[in-house]
This record gives sequence, structure tokens and C-alpha cells, in this order.
Amino acid sequence: MSETDVKARASKKYVRTFIFSMRTGTPIEKLHVVTKVFMIVVLSTLTLYMFDIPVSRGGPDFIGLGLLLVLVFSLLAISRTAKYLVNSYLILSIPVILAQFFWWLFFSESLPGAKMTFYLWPGFFPIGVSTLVFVGTFVLVYFKTRSITVSLAPAVLLWWFTIMPSVLAHSSLATWIKFPLGGTYSFSLPQWSAYIGFAKSLGYAILIYTSFLFLLTTRDVEIGGALRQLRVSFRKAFFVMLMFRNLNTILLDYESIRMAQIARASSVIRSGILSRMKDLAYVSIPLVATMIRRSTEMGVALYARGFEASKGMTNYKETKRLSGVDYAIMVLLIAFLIYEVILGHSITALFGR
Amino acid sequence: MSEGENTIPKTETKFPWSNYTLKLGRGEPVSTTQYVLYAVQIAAVIILSYLSVAVIPLSYAGISIFYFVYPFFLVFTMWWGAWGMLGAYVGCVVGAGVLVGTGPVPSIVYAISDLVPPLIAFVLYRGLLSKRGYDPLWRDLTDKEVAGVKTKRVGAWVWFILINGVILNIISAEIGVGVLYKFGLVATNGFWPFWIGWVVGDFVAMVIITPVLVKGLTSLVERQGLVNHGWIT
Repeated sequence: MSETDVKARASKKYVRTFIFSMRTGTPIEKLHVVTKVFMIVVLSTLTLYMFDIPVSRGGPDFIGLGLLLVLVFSLLAISRTAKYLVNSYLILSIPVILAQFFWWLFFSESLPGAKMTFYLWPGFFPIGVSTLVFVGTFVLVYFKTRSITVSLAPAVLLWWFTIMPSVLAHSSLATWIKFPLGGTYSFSLPQWSAYIGFAKSLGYAILIYTSFLFLLTTRDVEIGGALRQLRVSFRKAFFVMLMFRNLNTILLDYESIRMAQIARASSVIRSGILSRMKDLAYVSIPLVATMIRRSTEMGVALYARGFEASKGMTNYKETKRLSGVDYAIMVLLIAFLIYEVILGHSITALFGR
Repeated sequence: MSEGENTIPKTETKFPWSNYTLKLGRGEPVSTTQYVLYAVQIAAVIILSYLSVAVIPLSYAGISIFYFVYPFFLVFTMWWGAWGMLGAYVGCVVGAGVLVGTGPVPSIVYAISDLVPPLIAFVLYRGLLSKRGYDPLWRDLTDKEVAGVKTKRVGAWVWFILINGVILNIISAEIGVGVLYKFGLVATNGFWPFWIGWVVGDFVAMVIITPVLVKGLTSLVERQGLVNHGWIT
């Protein structure tokens, strides 16, 4: 990189990433894209292994999964993208994580362990941690959305989750005052169903946030540079770059077409599911037509600039070299992988269950 | 990019679509416009895969109850051969996998489920059914005639539903849900509910969107000379 390029780069406070933008100069921004890819592959492999350890071998590695989640959130905080995540995807991902918990709670095979009681309604109105959860969630969501209905739904749901397990409902630490109300409705499930459900949702959260870590801190141009470093031909590297560069454009096209469709009342006059599906189908024609038109224009522009004839292209300015930190991170991740997956140790067992 | 073959093959003239075959191409290299188009269509499939899973309610771990990208990559494969298949695979890995949080390792494996249907459909339509009077670009689903040749609409729909909606859809669901199950992302007793959700989601999307796409765009794409004669060009 020339001195001018270094100065130009240093003057930029933020750079565009796959989704949103990232502050420059953070330790995560300085990592090589190969290290980031390696990191998400190892973290997801570790997660898949940790939450799938059979009960006969001690069950999921809860502490290990917890540590990984803390690690991922720490990396997001270091990269200064956590704020964006909290503002956008964090709330969207919570229902998915909760769905994971409930799927595993109800659809697990018969698991060992004592039966655990869950309440549909405990027969009393509790005041305690559940109340704090309700108020906290309501205030947090209301602060973001300014809608009472939208805030009530997650608040009630999370409140119900905190009164569901009998252990919490009857604990004096979690439930401070009880007001008798209605009958008791409950069901029982093996203890391990809840544990496995918890481990799966924890693991799924790691998978989601690891992906976000990569997408929030990686630039498409870095991938092109890395491919060139790996001696991939310019045409192939540029193809991959074109693909990633167009993601944002196509998403914007899709949004514009949808808005145009709404402006023509297509989503207002039809309310049935099938009609809405048809609306979606009618987005497809302008979307694909726009895609073809854009490709033709870009193709002509590239051709006019001598893309087909050019040889010996210069490398991307964003190309970095693997540093000592990159190597250190890769070695640490490999060591963790060997410890957990190959040697079969568990962090939870290390601390003693 | 592949060079394909060096001589322009003689085309059969029995049907207007007889020049769409299973050869690599017609010998010419990929033009710059095609090069850009193939990259952009992959980007489109990534976004649509992401939206199919992230926007549709009740979608879970890469499985959507209305996977509306399915007809897109099927039609793109019929138009652009191997590039459409690449789009289906990459779209699933990135859009319905990594972007929705399934993780890179399961995504790379489970995306095979989106690669198999377009691959088999392409081979069957271009290698077998096109010679029996069925258009490999599926215009016979909506048009009574193609370039003056009367189409077999009922037969076209029967094959279309049987191959893409039933057989390939079931294979796709089997691979996709099976892989997610093996990776511990689908609950032990949840295999069948997800399997049914997958098959229904893909089927409904395919039946609703494919005719719209074919009717609205195939002629336009063909007129611009952007339909692949073979796998690559």
C-alpha cells in the first residue's frame, strides 16, 4: 500500500461491511479475513460438538457454550458493532432462539432424569423476578419501538417463561409474593429435555452471533484480496467480489419494488395468505428484469474498460498480510478444538458439575 | 472460464428448443455480460434465500414454510445451466445458512439439498424431456405454442409437478432435514414436522411463482441471447 493509500485509509472512520459498517482501527478490523473465516468455522464446529454431547457422556458442555457466547459478544464489543446488533438483529434473533428451546423441550426423544414440572398457569399470580423480566422487556422494547402492542407481546412471553418452571415459581428467591388466582395447569417433562433445550438454544445463539460477527466486520473487497493471495485467478476473485458487492444493491431493489407494490395497494386490498404469496410472485418479474438490466449495463461498462483484454491486474489495496496476532488466534482455536473435540474433554467437567 | 467445444454443433430442428442441450456450450467463451449476469444472479438468489427464511413467519434453522427462492433457482438453472446450480448452492450456504445463523459447517453440507433438484431437473429436461416435446425452458406451462409449435400443456404440468414438486422436492427435504438432524439442529422427534414443512413450503412456492417467472421473463431472456445452450454457455 502506498503512503497516500495508508493516509486515505487512516482518515476513514467507518468502512462498509457486508451488513452495516464497521469502525476502522479496531483489533477485529485488523484481522485477516482468512483468520475470521477460520474463526467462524472453528467456533461453529465447537458449538455443534458441545451441544450434541450425549447424556450418557455427561451431556452438553454448558460452561463451554457459555464461554463461547461470552467470547463472541466480547469480540462484537471489541469491534464496536455490538450497538448495531442490539439495535437491529438481537431482538429479531431472540424468537428463533426461544423456538429452538421449545422445539427441543417438546420434540426430544425420551430422555433420562427425574420429571420436571412446568406450569401453563401456576394457580397464583407471582411477584418477583418474573415481574422484573416483564417490566424490563416492556420498557426495553417500548423504548425501541414506541408501540405498546409490540412491546407487550415479548414482555408477556418472557414473563410466562419465567413462571413456567416449577423450580422458579416456587423458589422464594425468584417469587417474592403470590396472589392466588385460578387453578393450576401443569405438565411434566424429563429434566434432561429442559437441559438439552437450554444447551441447543445457547448453541444456536452462538451460531447466529458468530455469523453476525463475520458479516458485521468483513468487507467484500477483503475477500477478493484474500482470494488473490491464495493465487485464485483475477477473473474468479472478481466474480466473487461482484457477487458480494451486489447483495446490498439487490436488497435495495427488492425493497423498492415491494414499496412500489404497496403504493399500488397490492398488499392492502388482498389479505389472504395465497394472495400475499401471489403478491410476492409479482415482485419476481421486476426484480429479475432489473437484475438482467443492471448486469447488461455493468457488463458493457466492464467491456468498455477493457476487462476482457486486460492482463496483469493490480492487487486490491485492502489486501493484508497475516500477522502474528492472526497466527496466535488460529493456534489458540486449534488448541481449543483439539482439547474439546479430539481429546473429548469438557469445560463443564473441568469445573465439576 | 470454460472454453466449451471448438466447433458449432449442428442443431436438430425438430423442436424450437432443440438447441438447448447437455453439451458444455457452443464453443464460445463466457462474455463479459454473461460473466456479470451469473455473479449478479447468485447475489439475487442469496438475498431471496435469506428473505425466504428470515421474513416468513414460522421459519426455523434454514427451513421455511414458503421457500420462495426455490422456483427462482430452478428457472435460473433452466436458463443458465451450471451457473444457476452454483447460485442455488451458494444462495443456500450464504442466504439460508450463514445469514440466518445456521453456521458455516452445517450450511455447507445442507446446501446440497438445494443443489440436487436443479441439477437433476436440468439433466432430465435437457437430456430427456426436450426430445419428447417438452420445453426445457418451461414455456409450455403457460403458452399454447412456442415458436409456432403447439405445446403439450397438460403433459408439461404433469412432468413439472411430478419431477420438481414431488420427486426432487422429497429428495431435497430428505437431504436438507436429514443433514440438519444429524448436526443436532432439528429435534429428535421433529424430523417429520420439518420434513413436511419443507416439502409443502417448496411445493407451494414452486407452483405459484414458476409460471409467473416463466411467462414474464423467459422470452425476454431468450430474445437477449442470454439463455445458455449447454451447461456453461
